Amino acid sequence: MANESPRRYWRSLEERAPDDAFREAAADEFPPAPEQTATLFGRRGFLQAAGFTLAGAVSAGCQRAPVRYALPFANEPETVTPGRSLWYASTCSACEAGCGVLVKVRDGRPIKIEGNPEHPLSRGGVCAAGQAAVLGLYDSQRFTGPRRGGADATWEQVDADVLARLAAIRASGGAVRVLSQTITSPALQAAIDRFLTGFADGRHVVYDALSASGVLDAHARTHGRRVLPRYALERASVLVGIDADFLGTWVSPVEFTRGYREARSLEGDPPRCSYHVQFEGRLSLTGTKADLRVRILPEDEPRVIEQLVARVAAKAGVAFEARGGAPAVDGAVLDDLAARLWAARGESLVMAGTPDLAAQVLVNYLNQLLGNYGHTIDLERPSRQRRGEDAAIERLAGELRAGSVAALVVLRANPVYELPAVHEFATLVPRAGLVVSLAQAPDETSALAAIVCPDHHALESWGDAEPVDGLAAVVQPAIRPLANTRAAIETFARWSGQDATALDLVRAHWQQAVFQRSGAGEGFDAFWDRVVHDGFTVLGAPSGQPAAFSDGAVTPLPASERQGDGFALVLHPTTALLDGRHAHNPWLQELPDPITKITWDNVAALAPAAAERLGVTSGDLVEIASPDGSGQPPLVLPVHVQPGQHEGVLAVALGYGRAGTERFADIGPRWLDAQPGVGPNGRVGVNLAPWLITRGGLVHASARRVTISRLPGRYELATTQHHHSINEPRSVSSAGARPLVVETSLSLLRSSADQELAPHPRYESWWPDDHPTGGPRWGMVVDLSACTGCSACVVACQAENNIPVVGRDEVRRQREMHWMRIDRYFTDAADDVDVVHQPMLCQHCANASCESVCPVLATVHSSEGLNEQVYNRCVGTRYCANNCAYKVRRFNWFNYAHPSERENLVLNPDVTVRTRGVMEKCSFCVQRIHEARTEARRRNVPLADGDVQPACGQSCPARAITFGDLNDPKSRVATLARSQRFFRVLEELDLRTSVGYLSVVRNREATSPEAHHG
Amino acid sequence: MAEAAVSAGRTPLIVGKRLSEVTEDVCRPLDTRPTALWWAGFVFSLALLGLGTAAIAYQVATGIGTWGLNRTVGWAFDITNFVFWIGIGHAGTLISAILFLFRQRWRTSVNRAAEAMTLFAVMCAGIFPVIHMGRPWLFFWIAPYPNARGTLWMNFRSPLAWDFFAISTYFLISAVFWYVGLIPDLATARDRTPPGLRRRLYEIFSLGWNGSFRTWHHYEVVYLLLAGLATPLVISVHTIVSWDFATSVIPGWHTTIFPPYFVAGAIFSGMAMVLTLMLVARVVMGLQAYITHRHVDVMCKLILLTSGIVALAYGTEFFTALYSANQYEQFVFKNRALGPMAWAYWTMVSCNVLAPQLLWFSAVRRRFLLVFIVTLFINVGMWFERFVIIVTSLHRDYLPSSWASYAPTSIEVATLLGSFGLFFSAFLLFCRLIPVIAIAEVKSVVGTPPAGTHEPAPAAGRPALSAVEA
Repeated sequence: MANESPRRYWRSLEERAPDDAFREAAADEFPPAPEQTATLFGRRGFLQAAGFTLAGAVSAGCQRAPVRYALPFANEPETVTPGRSLWYASTCSACEAGCGVLVKVRDGRPIKIEGNPEHPLSRGGVCAAGQAAVLGLYDSQRFTGPRRGGADATWEQVDADVLARLAAIRASGGAVRVLSQTITSPALQAAIDRFLTGFADGRHVVYDALSASGVLDAHARTHGRRVLPRYALERASVLVGIDADFLGTWVSPVEFTRGYREARSLEGDPPRCSYHVQFEGRLSLTGTKADLRVRILPEDEPRVIEQLVARVAAKAGVAFEARGGAPAVDGAVLDDLAARLWAARGESLVMAGTPDLAAQVLVNYLNQLLGNYGHTIDLERPSRQRRGEDAAIERLAGELRAGSVAALVVLRANPVYELPAVHEFATLVPRAGLVVSLAQAPDETSALAAIVCPDHHALESWGDAEPVDGLAAVVQPAIRPLANTRAAIETFARWSGQDATALDLVRAHWQQAVFQRSGAGEGFDAFWDRVVHDGFTVLGAPSGQPAAFSDGAVTPLPASERQGDGFALVLHPTTALLDGRHAHNPWLQELPDPITKITWDNVAALAPAAAERLGVTSGDLVEIASPDGSGQPPLVLPVHVQPGQHEGVLAVALGYGRAGTERFADIGPRWLDAQPGVGPNGRVGVNLAPWLITRGGLVHASARRVTISRLPGRYELATTQHHHSINEPRSVSSAGARPLVVETSLSLLRSSADQELAPHPRYESWWPDDHPTGGPRWGMVVDLSACTGCSACVVACQAENNIPVVGRDEVRRQREMHWMRIDRYFTDAADDVDVVHQPMLCQHCANASCESVCPVLATVHSSEGLNEQVYNRCVGTRYCANNCAYKVRRFNWFNYAHPSERENLVLNPDVTVRTRGVMEKCSFCVQRIHEARTEARRRNVPLADGDVQPACGQSCPARAITFGDLNDPKSRVATLARSQRFFRVLEELDLRTSVGYLSVVRNREATSPEAHHG
Repeated sequence: MAEAAVSAGRTPLIVGKRLSEVTEDVCRPLDTRPTALWWAGFVFSLALLGLGTAAIAYQVATGIGTWGLNRTVGWAFDITNFVFWIGIGHAGTLISAILFLFRQRWRTSVNRAAEAMTLFAVMCAGIFPVIHMGRPWLFFWIAPYPNARGTLWMNFRSPLAWDFFAISTYFLISAVFWYVGLIPDLATARDRTPPGLRRRLYEIFSLGWNGSFRTWHHYEVVYLLLAGLATPLVISVHTIVSWDFATSVIPGWHTTIFPPYFVAGAIFSGMAMVLTLMLVARVVMGLQAYITHRHVDVMCKLILLTSGIVALAYGTEFFTALYSANQYEQFVFKNRALGPMAWAYWTMVSCNVLAPQLLWFSAVRRRFLLVFIVTLFINVGMWFERFVIIVTSLHRDYLPSSWASYAPTSIEVATLLGSFGLFFSAFLLFCRLIPVIAIAEVKSVVGTPPAGTHEPAPAAGRPALSAVEA
């Protein structure tokens, strides 16, 4: 029955008796709904509790990354506006060339070095090494303070120590030697001189690791002044380089590149194109630009010079007898060259890199015969970029050997590393009574010094420079010193008993020595302020008088004999590392060599025929030894087969194998299969400086004979442009004739100049433009004729856009990250090769193949014609990179962390640092476009042509890169895009690129109507 | 009831089995404990799966850099594996849908396994588009989903977005089709299984199947409709996958013959994989009576046909390149045949064009061991076909400065092995849990006339069905 309740069973009396709650419930007339009566966990209660728990757990788990506050300045410095950069004019310190730079400072940190467009030497250009100097500032391995006996010390301690020792030396009359490379700073030079005058036997020994001693010595002989003349390449219409890599590494490459470019400005009015002949054994950067390149052995250089002198002398009607023996090169080549030189008297130029004194004297004679002194060669205002004397080193070595040096102070030099082994500096340096090093970072020499008084980085310090006589420039600090270092000038002043800051010392020197030379009508304070603002000043009267050429100095060469068997070892600096001073700079280590495209290593470069003879290919290991067994112990290097090199030459780069490059073993991502970032010796490359030899007191980089023997084993080189296996059929290992570069000769260009003949077919599209731009359409034109391949743009881009260094192993895996690369192509020319450098970057196609394939719209077109990559939208399918015809996209395969927190200070806050898994590529420096536009808007003026300059174009020493608005018919870039020489790469794909190129023009007679190659 | 199941002049596909024996034979693995052989295979597959999982975990944690890709070759093993598995997944739907519509009754013996294989292959394939991303945790961004990012949406012009739809649709329809086909058999299994969890699961998944006329009628209608729905997918999925390449500008990818070429290749590889699996399964699981010479023979012929189509495509590619007068196109094909990866190209040609030619001979088709070996070659060859298309086209494209090489890392190889581990683990579980042959369908070809039909008496020499009918 329904109303029949079941029998109730109970266990205890309490249970049986109804409790209070029951009674209350029974008394309640309107009992709550059954769910609500459930005491602890009714259905709803359970759901509520569960929901709360879940929500709590979720919200606890959803915690975002900890909030970090960016605090503003408590007291904001007067000049600092967050988000705006300050620019300081200064002078580059990466080498002795002394180019003018502008240092970009954001929030108190120097983050970029750019060229000072008003500087008379560099005129806006900066080389790769100069741009990378900003990374050197943040090098975590620089000295953090003074050191004594291998332990940290205070400045008071080391100063007291040094002064006590110097006082003793002063008393005993011992010899004090300051050893440095060329110092272009007049104030520092004065401080050193003042320091040395306090000693009975004090002398400043100056040398140059990249020596031009032969040129200086020759001028001492022919003109009575031991100076390096200033070469005015812009005035030369016929140019001869004999083993002088003046566009790459010789003396002042940025200045020379600019002059060279000016002498070959085909778009100028009137158009100019100089004629350049290069004689060399290896293939140098300069050689790649030559209109005629003649391969000679280094030992033949003097004879080539002599034979050229003989031919020119004959035209000049001067008696000169060449006694050098058989002609080293085809006589017709020299005849033609002599005729051209003679025709261009007064506007020709012969430069030679050979250290051979007699040959250099002949070069001077040749320039004298051609009337170049006073026109293309300036001795009145000579260069001060090289003042070193090789013989001085030999004398110092003798003194050290004799134990007669009481104190040796080394600054801005690393003699233990970079001098020939014959000088034995590694064993001789400790023989000095007191060795003090003023190095910025540990090096081979400072390791032997009892006391280290670290110098500031140039970006931390006041200083000055006079790279060329009459051009005085200042170096101004862009940041407070990062560590407890002290400017070298202060250190010397302190030791001379003068307690002053670097600024006071430099100012005082300028007031005394520079101001009156300037002939300025203003007061010194105004003068100084103007110079600090401008970065430089041109002084009035030259400091020296013109010297006459003394014919008596010219002597014919001694008859040379052919040297022995084996290969001529040519040791050369590289554009990135120079003499090795930049070996700790990862940007420069990862910069592909402009010719070999190898990173992170030096190689034994052999001509193809030589490699074939030896049975080796690129990557094989060889042993290099002196044939007589004397000299250096044999060393092992990987082979690189280098087209364009003389068959008898083995070329190896200097500057590698520096102590401390072991630090790069772990650079780049570390993972399961990661390989070390250094070579088998634990360092980056091998040091060849001990293989330099001295002859007649001069250091010869190319006079040694070596034998090469193949070793078992191979070594995989990290190159950015691959070489193909010789086992492949030629039909696939060579790309065939691809119209990637348009090349033409000057005569053909001139003959077709009148005809409105487009050099390249222009394709019209049937379809409407996908991305019509109302306002500007940003575009770029790269003049391949001007581009020397110096790779300054690559480093500029790296600095501007926070591009990570990935290390040797990743480059080996073809994963370098450079947004801007320089494609280097060879092409056959007569019995030699021609070289084309083609800067390749995102072409910002209007019809971009990358944009349509991205599933998440992470790469899109802007209204101004930019192809934009949206990092935080990118999921990393890499389809865009696959579908890019130019392969300019770079993928973050890993999180490329910078090696140290300190080095991260160099990052540009305007550019996102990318994480792993996203694609990146050239943005046309969109942040700079915005900056320029904001500035124009602030000043309420329209954006003018030239206001926007991407990092690559800004610092290009050759002004090869023009950027601007293609929609503005009057802009420079649009004008160039209408040029007869204009072409686009892969135009037939109708990608409608915003980047175009101007054809390569060589000053040659037309042999074929037009050469396309790749 | 004494009539043959098939028309005169046709031999029944399956002979010598009573209908109850069919059920017994097919359901036997479901009722017995797994054999040592099964365990060995399963443990091995799981080990591979574990290896692959570890490799993927490492790669996701560390970065795509753990693969051998580079700035020039952005896809290699990842997309090769993806296209390979999608191709394998083609046979299932082809057999179950297209051959169903064409009334190819021999399909009944293999369709269940082929469909299961399809599902597992698509699962394997689906892994790769996700893990090949630089940031796989954001893979859902390629789906159009409502989000808080304003107008930000996906790019409907991208073939990768089309891929997403094509594959998800294909997987969904294949799974539904497979499941619907399973319902009667699940009911059979349910009825045979003693009470317990297993029976409960069969009860749930058989959706209360009662075998009534109405149920059968609805079932047949739904099955037919699904077959009609799945048929275009067989064509569309691989067509769209081929557009990943065909819509690009890369020589060797940018070609109009890719859709038919890819579809034929997919059917080719799928058929080969079905044969590979079924030739093993019929022996191990004692299904010799159901998968007979005739089945193998028909499938071999299909392989021969698709091999011919694929070979034609290979030749056409070369002809197009030659005729195009486009030097980039010409170079890519020269490079394929003679370049550094020529070994991969010639492996592909040998496996996909030369090896299947053996199947012209009926003597070969009758020797299952030989057929098995040929199908293994085809599996390898079709993997290489995708590898050749992807890697050799990419590694040397327009600008010689960017030419690069490619070699896989151990992580990539482990990931490939892992996908096989997943495939075989899933297939082995399938063999144990689900009737591998569509019992209800295969009964229709055992020689039993469908209820109510009256066919002429069987020809002499064939067993009278009345004799074997229960």
